Amino acid sequence: MKSGAWKVIASKEIFDHIRSRKFMLIFGIFLIISMVGLVGGLIDYQKQLDSYNEQLSVAGEDEMGYMPYWKPSLLSIFFQISPMIISLGGVLGIAMGFDLITKEKESKSLKILLSHPIYRDEVINGKALGAIGALLIALGTVSIISLAIMLIFGIVPDADQFSRMLIFGAAAFLMIFSYFAIALFMSTISSDSGNALIYSLIILIFLSSLLPVFAYGPVMNLVAGDAPEPPESLMRGGGGGWSHTFTTSSSVSVSSDGGPVEEYVDPDQEEWDKYNKKSKAYWEKRQAISDAIGLLSPSSNFQAISREVIWSASGRPMPMDKDGFEEDNSLASTLSDLLKNIIALLVTPAIFFGAAYVRFMRLDIR
Amino acid sequence: MIEFEHLTKEYNGIKAVDDLCLTIPDGEVFGLLGPNGAGKSTTILMLIGLIEPTEGRCLIDGVEVAKNPIEVKHRIGYMPEDVGFYATLTAEQNLDFFARLYGMKKAERKEKIESLLELVGLSGVEKKVGGYSKGMRQRLGIAKALINDPAVMILDEPTANLDPQGVADYRRIIQEMAKQGKTVLVSSHILSEVSRVCTSVGILSQGRIVANGKWEDLARIPEGSTSGEIRINVRTKEAMPEFSNSEIISVDYTDDRKGASVLSHSDIRDDISDVLQKTGTGIRELSLDRDSLEDFILSYYQEQ
Repeated sequence: MKSGAWKVIASKEIFDHIRSRKFMLIFGIFLIISMVGLVGGLIDYQKQLDSYNEQLSVAGEDEMGYMPYWKPSLLSIFFQISPMIISLGGVLGIAMGFDLITKEKESKSLKILLSHPIYRDEVINGKALGAIGALLIALGTVSIISLAIMLIFGIVPDADQFSRMLIFGAAAFLMIFSYFAIALFMSTISSDSGNALIYSLIILIFLSSLLPVFAYGPVMNLVAGDAPEPPESLMRGGGGGWSHTFTTSSSVSVSSDGGPVEEYVDPDQEEWDKYNKKSKAYWEKRQAISDAIGLLSPSSNFQAISREVIWSASGRPMPMDKDGFEEDNSLASTLSDLLKNIIALLVTPAIFFGAAYVRFMRLDIR
Repeated sequence: MIEFEHLTKEYNGIKAVDDLCLTIPDGEVFGLLGPNGAGKSTTILMLIGLIEPTEGRCLIDGVEVAKNPIEVKHRIGYMPEDVGFYATLTAEQNLDFFARLYGMKKAERKEKIESLLELVGLSGVEKKVGGYSKGMRQRLGIAKALINDPAVMILDEPTANLDPQGVADYRRIIQEMAKQGKTVLVSSHILSEVSRVCTSVGILSQGRIVANGKWEDLARIPEGSTSGEIRINVRTKEAMPEFSNSEIISVDYTDDRKGASVLSHSDIRDDISDVLQKTGTGIRELSLDRDSLEDFILSYYQEQ
């Protein structure tokens, strides 16, 4: 960033992206689907709100009447948009980045560009900044239209909801930018745009579709091993089912087939506790591996952030913590829980952009 | 001024350019000749700072390229052989983008771009560069190389795709630059083109300069060498006298003696001109035969 040429390159890149047919096409689909999802979500939200108000009035008339469990939240409208952003956002990021360097090589403009009084890093930095600018314009447009639609529906978000919407937007931006950085890296290592696109799409499919299979499917069983079996001495029952009863402060019955349950009344408490401990450790280990694998995927991280940010404000009952209390659903607490996902969404583009930067600086220009 | 000092570039142990030492003074139009793979493009890429030399250095107006690439790039105008532009932009938009990289102001850019497009015959062409022919791109490449009013112009195969009008315009531009005291380096394997515009040449073969100097110096057969002959075409207004020179191998006169083809060991055009002037014979043509010259230059390659 020494000669100021990065500004010239960044402004040209923004201009190129915005005028590009592929960008406009994907952004157009993205915008339409987001708006359709938003309007659908708003209609559902209005229905839920009407139903909630109706139930409230009934409960007000009769104290013994049914009390609605939770008040619907405005943020619930984003439930429908989130999956669309995951699928189309990744494609948008890749479409913006896959040919940024290969196109310059193919059109022979890279050699002529670098013969000007600019440093090489200004070229790649300018390109990245141009993409960030174009992406901000795209997401800004979606956000402004979304806000306008909400206002048309007579819905005004409060400060907390607005903050959560901003976090949702920022996470969407980081996810799309992560895929952009991956595509940019592929563009620096590939000989032509076709190869760069194929490599980028393979990674997109792997990170957004195959990685969750690794995280939760049979591959996970191979990594984490089989779940510990309950002690045979504790199992008894007909029809292939099994059950047990605690003789502790709480009593739990479990049936695998819903059939008649025979209760085990004489528990070997020590054996049961041992099994219980092993089982808990196993599932915690499995969850930790699954979370760690999930951190590698920008899609999974965005999904986790959007789910938590929206869910914790949706008015739905929060999960219980260890002490049996509902977990804190304040924004600060939610962000604290999501710290690893946020860091992962910052680190992923940084790694790929760094790799693209190093590769581009060493690129043989002949 | 361009200087190469023991410039060497190695790729995997193979020397693409080998100990190149050369000085091109201001106002010179220098032709870098050589067959494909001789090291011309590698030399130029080192000169414009796109690749670093393995050894040695090159300087433009006394500034070392590898150490001060930005300063050097402000002084040069470069047109590569496979000149590439942004296909989705017009010629004007392309030139405007490149002009902004030099930090030129808007009004200055506008004025400069208009005059350059006029100069290369692309004024009023509104279509995007993606729809240009190779020749049009090459014209635009010449305009791009001139956008910063460079002191040194480096052109790689500048006439490869130009039509006759384009070639004529290119020659006019180069001659104008030379008149302004600017240095021009033209890399080419098209001997006839180099011989028309360049005042001196360097012949590159297998990464080494095998000969360099003014045309008349190069067109002189080295002492002891038995290969190489030059044919000189002479046409006069009146019947010409008999030529006598130790360099002459043979002379074929036309029947009216107003034309002659002189086969010589070296370029003796100055001697012939002196003889014709002394005898009051008007000269219509006194030129080196192109085919003969090409054979002569090729002999430099073959000697390596």
